[in-house]
Amino acid sequence: MIGRLGFLISIALRHLSRRKRQTVVAVTGVAVGVGFFLAVSALMVGSQNDFIDQLIDAAPHIIISDELRSPAPQPGTRTFREGAVELHGYKIRTEVRGIKDWQKIVAAVDAIDGAIASPSLSGGVTLRLGGHEEALGIVGVEPEIEARISTIEDQLRVGHLRDLETTQGGIIIGEELANRLGVRVGDIVAATSSSSSARSMRVVGLFKKGQTQLSSGTGYVLLREAQSMLGRPFIINRIGVKLADPYDAQRVAQRIEGQFGYKAESWQERSSDFLSLLLTRNVIMYSVVSAILLVASFGIYTVVSNSVADKRKDIAILRSIGFSEADLQIVFVVEGIVLALIGVVFGWLLGTLLMEILGSLRFSIGGEDERIPLDRTARQYAIAAAASFAAGTVAAWLPARKASRVDPVDILRGAM
Amino acid sequence: MSGILEARGLGRMLPGEPPVTLVSGVDLTIQPGRFTTIVGPSGCGKSSLLYLLGLIDRPTSGELLFEGREVSGLTGDERARIRLARFGFVFQFHFLLPEFSALENVMLPIQRLGRLTHREAKARGLELLAGVGLEDKQGKTPDRLSGGERQRVAIARALANDPVLILGDEPTGNLDSHNSARVVETLRTLAHEQGRAIACVTHDPAIAAISDIRIEMLDGRVERVVESDPA
Repeated sequence: MIGRLGFLISIALRHLSRRKRQTVVAVTGVAVGVGFFLAVSALMVGSQNDFIDQLIDAAPHIIISDELRSPAPQPGTRTFREGAVELHGYKIRTEVRGIKDWQKIVAAVDAIDGAIASPSLSGGVTLRLGGHEEALGIVGVEPEIEARISTIEDQLRVGHLRDLETTQGGIIIGEELANRLGVRVGDIVAATSSSSSARSMRVVGLFKKGQTQLSSGTGYVLLREAQSMLGRPFIINRIGVKLADPYDAQRVAQRIEGQFGYKAESWQERSSDFLSLLLTRNVIMYSVVSAILLVASFGIYTVVSNSVADKRKDIAILRSIGFSEADLQIVFVVEGIVLALIGVVFGWLLGTLLMEILGSLRFSIGGEDERIPLDRTARQYAIAAAASFAAGTVAAWLPARKASRVDPVDILRGAM
Repeated sequence: MSGILEARGLGRMLPGEPPVTLVSGVDLTIQPGRFTTIVGPSGCGKSSLLYLLGLIDRPTSGELLFEGREVSGLTGDERARIRLARFGFVFQFHFLLPEFSALENVMLPIQRLGRLTHREAKARGLELLAGVGLEDKQGKTPDRLSGGERQRVAIARALANDPVLILGDEPTGNLDSHNSARVVETLRTLAHEQGRAIACVTHDPAIAAISDIRIEMLDGRVERVVESDPA
């Protein structure tokens, strides 16, 4: 069987080697198709991954907040569930905001392989310097843990997150806010909240410009500091979770929410709008790229089809000396596959070259030296190869079927 | 005497309005060791009959027995297998594959049958080419061979799988008298010395005259079977 296939392949190769020009044209078609597929998909997938990475990293993979998806039932309703008497209008119990038993949640998350939970408390304060006042959302964190779950550290122009621990009353604010207030690192500002008197804070770090939220409206302090400043000792209202596999976020978030009742929002949920946008983008990309490959497969169809037309006499000879219909079909399908194979190899080279060129381009965005994000994973190469093979095989199979149906008698009679 | 191939009421009709009868009601026997010729005027259906006998075409009526077995109802693949392993064909035009050398052309049926290794197939191919006096032309493609040489390569190829039956469709039709005589002599030797059955369509009276059995056809029917005394 293998011997027979090898023999039939050798016939196909012989046919192709005698049709060099057409072979070159068809191979070029496939190569260009594959090459541009690789370049375009590397661009699209690369930028998409870059974008998703930013989405993922912009905030923790899962944020557990002290909110509930639906309001908690009041004690009366809870006690007299499905009772004969309907109660309403009783005094609503005031619940203390904040996540209860948050240590348990943190412990539960930390128990997941590779997951880290960082508790934090956020609230509003007013920064005052001279006659100038600025509202600021502050986030109290454990710098050690927070640094491991977020990219906050990378957003710092000056200072480090851990400086919060070494400086009494340290605060990190954004560059823009600092400019508005006219403070620099090491300067002292006064902060007041609704529940505490003014206290002095020392600026220990600055967030880069560009990240609007961080740059102008958010400040980071120690968790203890935030709790005392906001008058909510031992309370936290947010747990950020980082997972080993960000794509697990949806599942883990659902589990946590099911277990503890607090709203656990995965990054996918947070950015579902963007993700559906990316889906549309992918549909567009794959349709364009399929069109390229489809055109390339026309080249293969033409070569094999011509080969079949030219070789009708040879087909009749081979059929009459005892080659089966399947044999002939294999010969011509193999011609198409060989064209696709060579085309794919050259296409890979072309694609790699195009990616090198794209990858070497640099341009600057917001003062940062940027490169085009490219996806050079083997997956794209495999997709390109598989698609070309499939298209090439189908393109060759159509005329090959015709070849196998050539009736040798017609040819023999015609030759007389 | 029982033959390798026996036709009983064999007929072939082309469907259409009106249908065309190519061959009808042919009874004949092809015997081993005999050189049989099929003769008749142009359009009498002798080539059509040969395609039926060679299992290239299927009859529309009657039956065909190869070694006692009915073969017209076999599948295409089964018939191809018989053609490959048991029959040899020589056509009027050499019908060699242009991309392949003389030796490769001879090796085609051997390799397809797959009973021999590549090395053995090559040795057999060379032996067959030597048998038709062309061992020195083994590497030449058909366009570098003369008409007579091509036809001899075609004969070598027909013998590739040691067939019991060799079918010729005007094998000398395109050759000059010298080459023609040589081809005929080769075919006769194959029948008389190697015991193979030879069936040739021809309109060359000289060939018909030296054949053992002459089947004369007219309008798709066998008119007469003339058997010369075995010498």
